[in-house]
Amino acid sequence: MAPRRLLPALLGALATATMAAAAPAFAQASEQAVKAAFVPKFARYVGWPPAAQPGAGQPYYLCVIGRDPFGALIDRAAASEVIDGHPVAVRRFASIDFEAVAGCHLAFIAGANDAATAQMVEGLKRQAVLTITDARNGHARGMIHFAVVAGRVRFSIDQGTAAGRGITISSRLLALAVEVKP
Amino acid sequence: MRALLARAAAWLRNLPAAAAAGLVALIVVAAGTAIILQSEASYRAQKSEEAQVQADILASSIVAAIDFGDAAAAQEAADAMRVNRQLRGVAIYDRSGTRIAGYRRDGLGQRPTLAEARSVTSPGIVAEAPVMKDRKRIGTVRLAVDRQPLDTRFGRYAVIALLVLMAAFVVGVLGVAQAMLRRANRELELRATALGEANSELTHQIAERAKAEDQLRQAQKMQALGQLTGGIAHDFNNLLTVIQGSADMLTRPGLKAERRQRFAEAIVQAAARAAALTGQLLAFARRQPLQPEVIDVNAMIAGMIDLLDRTLGERFTIRTDLSHEACAVEADRAQLASAVLNIAVNARDAMPDGGSLAIATERVHHEEGDQIAICVTDTGAGMDEETQTRALEPFFTTKGAGKGTGLGLSQVYGFATQSGGDLKIVSTPGEGTTVTILLPCSDAPLPAPETGPGEARAAQIGAVLLVEDNEEVGEFAEAMLRELGHSVTWARSAAEALQAVAERPFDVVLSDVVMPMMSGIELADQLRLLQPDLPLVLTTGYSDEIARSGTGGRPVLLKPYRIETLAAVLDEALMGAKAEAE
Repeated sequence: MAPRRLLPALLGALATATMAAAAPAFAQASEQAVKAAFVPKFARYVGWPPAAQPGAGQPYYLCVIGRDPFGALIDRAAASEVIDGHPVAVRRFASIDFEAVAGCHLAFIAGANDAATAQMVEGLKRQAVLTITDARNGHARGMIHFAVVAGRVRFSIDQGTAAGRGITISSRLLALAVEVKP
Repeated sequence: MRALLARAAAWLRNLPAAAAAGLVALIVVAAGTAIILQSEASYRAQKSEEAQVQADILASSIVAAIDFGDAAAAQEAADAMRVNRQLRGVAIYDRSGTRIAGYRRDGLGQRPTLAEARSVTSPGIVAEAPVMKDRKRIGTVRLAVDRQPLDTRFGRYAVIALLVLMAAFVVGVLGVAQAMLRRANRELELRATALGEANSELTHQIAERAKAEDQLRQAQKMQALGQLTGGIAHDFNNLLTVIQGSADMLTRPGLKAERRQRFAEAIVQAAARAAALTGQLLAFARRQPLQPEVIDVNAMIAGMIDLLDRTLGERFTIRTDLSHEACAVEADRAQLASAVLNIAVNARDAMPDGGSLAIATERVHHEEGDQIAICVTDTGAGMDEETQTRALEPFFTTKGAGKGTGLGLSQVYGFATQSGGDLKIVSTPGEGTTVTILLPCSDAPLPAPETGPGEARAAQIGAVLLVEDNEEVGEFAEAMLRELGHSVTWARSAAEALQAVAERPFDVVLSDVVMPMMSGIELADQLRLLQPDLPLVLTTGYSDEIARSGTGGRPVLLKPYRIETLAAVLDEALMGAKAEAE
């Protein structure tokens, strides 16, 4: 790629990434920015069992467990989501060995390695938590698993596992999935 | 509302039928158009509602796709709409109005932004729906629906249009028919009126004509009457001159007995002719009661030869050809004689230079029984056709004024038909005329020849009740009755007569027929109840009542009568009464 063409591309990618919170970046300028924008949006298309639902005025807790690949991107994206009056709050945990993890609604899990990620996903399987993983971090799969297909960020959905935790996933979301595991 | 309708109906009635029909047809067409437009509008509304619903469904189904910026998913959702073949196209725009997905059925490209798409007017029905996420608009769905193809819609409306047009047509035809009917009715009325006018005009003309005819008939009658009275007056004046002159001569003193006798005879003869004249008039009027008797026609004609000789004069020869087959007839002797004489006189007038007169009798066989024909033939001038046809017409005469009454043949015809016979005239101008009287034969026996009544029988004398309201006739009759030797009581009315009969006995009653209060016939009927044996003789100049009802078998003495006749009738009555009494 010629340097004189690289700059406008980078500038465009930056601009798009900055706007990602306000408008989805169809250009897929930054893979992490897109993922960071997607994650808080899932809350809208997912239903939790009544016991797990947030109380009035309480936020949905989006937990980033293990390594944090998004940083401020996800904070901004979460801040722009309000689902039926519930804001989305981001919490970060190093592992699942914290009491507070029990309050998570969504959990983006990225372990140090594939096994660690799988272990964390396994550790949360008794809770009503929508687990989200990324193919870049290994083969361990949460209920939603990011992957890049044809240069675009896509995801597959493990509806069966979600249903096992009492979590329902909207068909609208299912329609967007690359693959749905029943 | 109802009053309004009634007013509208009245207004419609006053309109000409064709105009009303046109109006109704227009209303029907307008209503049909309104129905079609309404249907079209509701179709559009329904279609746009459907489109809107589809847009809403699509919008809600692609929230996630837009939310996640998944153009492919949005495109999938848009492509899923292809199932609906009425969809012209679908476009999905993101929050900024940039098209991210969609299709057009015709395969052409779509506008890249919502604003551009909105700036172009679509031929179809367009619906837009916002894609909402948590009350925020994150995108827009826009879809266009093809309207139902024109021919399909036209097919739907064509049925309605056809029905409406047919209804309008029917209304129009009815209106035109109604108008024609009204016009025909008007014409018919006009014609009926014209016909009525013509009819009344005709009636008026007929009445006028009848009036004119009446006037003409009246004028003819007056003319005829003038002719008749002229003739009669002339004859009567002649006779009266003789009577008056003779009577004057009789009053002169010192007149010889021989001359006195001649004057008296002249009076008698003139009076007899006057009586014959009035008799003719009455016969013409058919008011004279006929006194039928059985007559030997041959004998009667033979007995008339002397009279005819005298009447016709020396220049005429009379021949008779009397058939031995001739039968007797039942007729009035005087009338029959008068008829023959009448024809003979006509024959004489037709032969101013003299000639011959032939009288023949012949038996004729007829369907209703045998008849006797009395033919009187002259060798005179004869009659042309017109004269022949008018010969029997009353008052028709070829003789000069005063010479004839025009009653002769008419009277003969009247007598013949009244006696059940007929009259026929055969004539050739220049050769002569044959007049034939036809009378029915009678089987009745001929009366025995009499040998003069007055001489054979002794004159009867009795008490006579004379009933007569006319002073002169009464005085004369009373004098004659006394002259004949009767004792006479003169009653001047029927009532007086009834009183007299009640007071004392009479042998015979001689009563006039025409009297005020009570007629002679009524008197006779009453007397028959009171004294059935009292004989009664009626006397009259003429009487409607006798002509109508007859005399009831009573003898009638016709005025004017002579003393011998009076004596004979009374003798007969008295004799009859006596014979019955014995």
